[in-house]
Amino acid sequence: MSYVAIKNIRKTFNDQTVLHDIELSFEKGELVTLLGPSGCGKSTLLRILAGLTRQDSGTISLDGKDITNLKPKAREIGMVFQSYALFPNMTVLENISFGLKMKKEDSQTIKNKVARMIELTGLEGKENSYPRELSGGQQQRVALARSLVMEPKVLLLDEPLSALDAQIRKKLQQQLRTIQRELKMTMVLVTHDQEEAMAISDRIFILNQGRIAQQGTPNEIYARPANEFVAGFIGNYNVLTKEELARFIPNVANWSHSIYAIRPEAFTLKKDGKSYEITGLINQVSMLGNITRYTIQNDKMTMMIDQLHQTQSTLQENESRTFFLREEDIIPIA
Amino acid sequence: MKRPFYHYVTIGIVVLYLIIPLLGTFLYSFATEWNHTVLPEGLSFEWYQRLFSDSRFIDAFIRSLLISLGTTAIAVLIIVPTVCAVILYAPKLEKYIQAITVMTYAIPGIILAVGLIRSYSDFQLSKILIVMGAYFVCVIPYMYQGTRNSLRNINGAALMEAAEVLGASRWGAFRHVIVPNIIPGILVSALLSFSILFGEFVLINMIVGTRFETVQLYLFAQTSKSGHMASAIVVCYFVLMALITALIIKATSSRKTKKRAAPKKTWFKLTLPKKEAVKS
Amino acid sequence: MKRMNWFAASFLIPFSIMVLMFLIVPILSMIYDSFQKSGTGFTFENYQTVFESDFYLQAFANSIKISLFSSLLALFAAIFATYSLTKFPQSVQDKVMNFANLTSNFAGVPLAFAFIILLGNSGLFVLLFEKMGISGMSSFNLYSMAGIILIYIYFQLPLAVMLLFPIYHGIQDQWKEAASILGASNTQFWLRIGVPVILPSLVGTFSILFANAMGAYATVYALTGSSYNMLPVRIGALVSGDVFAQPELASALALALGVILVIAMLFNEWLMRMVRRDLR
Repeated sequence: MSYVAIKNIRKTFNDQTVLHDIELSFEKGELVTLLGPSGCGKSTLLRILAGLTRQDSGTISLDGKDITNLKPKAREIGMVFQSYALFPNMTVLENISFGLKMKKEDSQTIKNKVARMIELTGLEGKENSYPRELSGGQQQRVALARSLVMEPKVLLLDEPLSALDAQIRKKLQQQLRTIQRELKMTMVLVTHDQEEAMAISDRIFILNQGRIAQQGTPNEIYARPANEFVAGFIGNYNVLTKEELARFIPNVANWSHSIYAIRPEAFTLKKDGKSYEITGLINQVSMLGNITRYTIQNDKMTMMIDQLHQTQSTLQENESRTFFLREEDIIPIA
Repeated sequence: MKRPFYHYVTIGIVVLYLIIPLLGTFLYSFATEWNHTVLPEGLSFEWYQRLFSDSRFIDAFIRSLLISLGTTAIAVLIIVPTVCAVILYAPKLEKYIQAITVMTYAIPGIILAVGLIRSYSDFQLSKILIVMGAYFVCVIPYMYQGTRNSLRNINGAALMEAAEVLGASRWGAFRHVIVPNIIPGILVSALLSFSILFGEFVLINMIVGTRFETVQLYLFAQTSKSGHMASAIVVCYFVLMALITALIIKATSSRKTKKRAAPKKTWFKLTLPKKEAVKS
Repeated sequence: MKRMNWFAASFLIPFSIMVLMFLIVPILSMIYDSFQKSGTGFTFENYQTVFESDFYLQAFANSIKISLFSSLLALFAAIFATYSLTKFPQSVQDKVMNFANLTSNFAGVPLAFAFIILLGNSGLFVLLFEKMGISGMSSFNLYSMAGIILIYIYFQLPLAVMLLFPIYHGIQDQWKEAASILGASNTQFWLRIGVPVILPSLVGTFSILFANAMGAYATVYALTGSSYNMLPVRIGALVSGDVFAQPELASALALALGVILVIAMLFNEWLMRMVRRDLR
């Protein structure tokens, strides 16, 4: 039996089903991500886990115990909100110790636990500040500390980094992962940012329109998108029908699938074993830092191609080129 | 989603408390005789017919209209450009306007009346002009709020810069870019100001008195004569206020839907609660 | 830069003249007058008269009592009604708020008159209760402190509701959710977070209501003429009485009223700092 097991969760808002019999489970100490576009039901699922929203049907178990009908505070689950939901009338210290005070722990224990959390999240010196005096990143860490100090069995994070700017976000992603590993905390992260999901998760569940579109490790998902939606959502896959593919590669008529996905970085300029030749006119070149992205065109079909940036051999616009593509990099998805 | 019953009770009490005096006055204005029975002895339009054929009421109505509309127009013409100029070109001065706003909002009419009577009793300044001047001051907070919020909503400073970069003169930019965009907001402030001045009693009664009888003064005179006539006046006054309020609500809510992103609070700021002391 | 100031100044001049003439000068001359006694130079005599007279002290006491009770009761009712209102759908909220906005026009002379119809000597409710055989009403006197408080509550209620409504929106649902996950009960949430967060606004609202009632003149004047002893009524009588006019004394009373309002405001600030350390 898994540490957390969610079975047949269904939820309908005003005749609109946002979760269709969701089934998912994960193990203790994992950092799993619910990834999907806005409106896919990921936040609702998280709120159902926390007990803030009632599901229409289905069960949830945590550590072998059925928590389906428990109140939020009885679930031993922590949650970090997108808006942080820090209490504005309390200092950092008071915010972090709030939950322990509610649990009526003795003041020495509270003091020790809170001090450790403040150290862990790097909030030293901010103990007596009020939330409005903190930067977004600091507020986020207070919210994290406030939940962690309760030592929940599972910590839920609802788009915890989405309100921060890119640089701080990257830094906090790493910090979050470090803390998670250090405490061996089981975490469920909700995000719409596929890069964020890839960077820090042990396991990713991709949700689309209230259904799980695919689950797996970041590697598995990136290498083998299971369907058109995932291929479109992850990375910059070229998604083509068999007919479209036929304009680049002859003899595909007898292939068995109807839709294929190709990673843009799978193309090479040198032939490598059994490869297909893809020829087209380069009609757009854009520098993306360490890679250069080309769009090649052939018979009104375009394909995106990424090449590691090399100062010497930059390809020119309106130049006709042939790229090589290995058979296993053409991933059948439907 | 079932609400506990007490939520209905609390709102019910407040709504009832606010509605019963209105209903009572309304019924009374249609009652023929209502001194000994629980329900009126009969209903008629008699009091309204008498009211609208009373030239004293018509005159009072016209006076109220003139003094309120006149002052509102002057206030719009002077206050709106001033506030715009200050916000766009001299933001350092805004705090003084804010101070004036707070002062006028906090000072009761009765105190202002004493000061005005003392200051101008020896001069041959028309009493009506003094009242209009005082009215001008009274509506500053509402005009200021409305103008400031409108400018903020359209991001006036950026619009002015954009227009000037495109070659418009300062006055041209103001005239063609700012003015058309803030007119709806100004209209709301003007309606609000008008409704406050139309119901004003303290200043006009203390400074001018019955020599310039407005609707409020006429009503005051009638209350001791005929209760039915007085209630007919109250109903007419209330209907007018209801119309103006409806216009204000319509104007503010239609803009609210157009600008979804605007925070809830704009509603509150656009309709700065009327301070009762101005009129009560 | 120079052109900019020209633009601003051309509007600022008329505005400043109006404010100077009808706000600053009257207030300053009132303050000056309060220290004068028929040309004898600077004196505290007026204040001595006020504070040695039981009659004027009673006016202070009555005004403060009536303002305090009407504000507290209206605030109390509004706290619960407005909270209940947040539990209803948006459309209901809008309707009730519009109704509050509408009834906020109903103050002063019309309001006093409506209450006379309902609860005056031969008011509708008095008749109704008589017919029903309930004798308790005969001892109720609208022209007493209790009656005046009842009327004041009427114009305080819509104001309180309109001021409080946005405050509840300041309480984020996620605070409640966060608190519940951290193990707090609903009561604990309100005790430790909800009330501390809204308290400053409650106090602020209270001080606006209090000031509003302290300065209210028309309502009580329309109800009792100059016979009920309240501060604004005394001030009014002292300036408008043709024979016995004592404008200097009126100025002293008006200034005292102003000082009470300032004290109420400072108290509000002080209390705010006490309860919300985070707003310091």
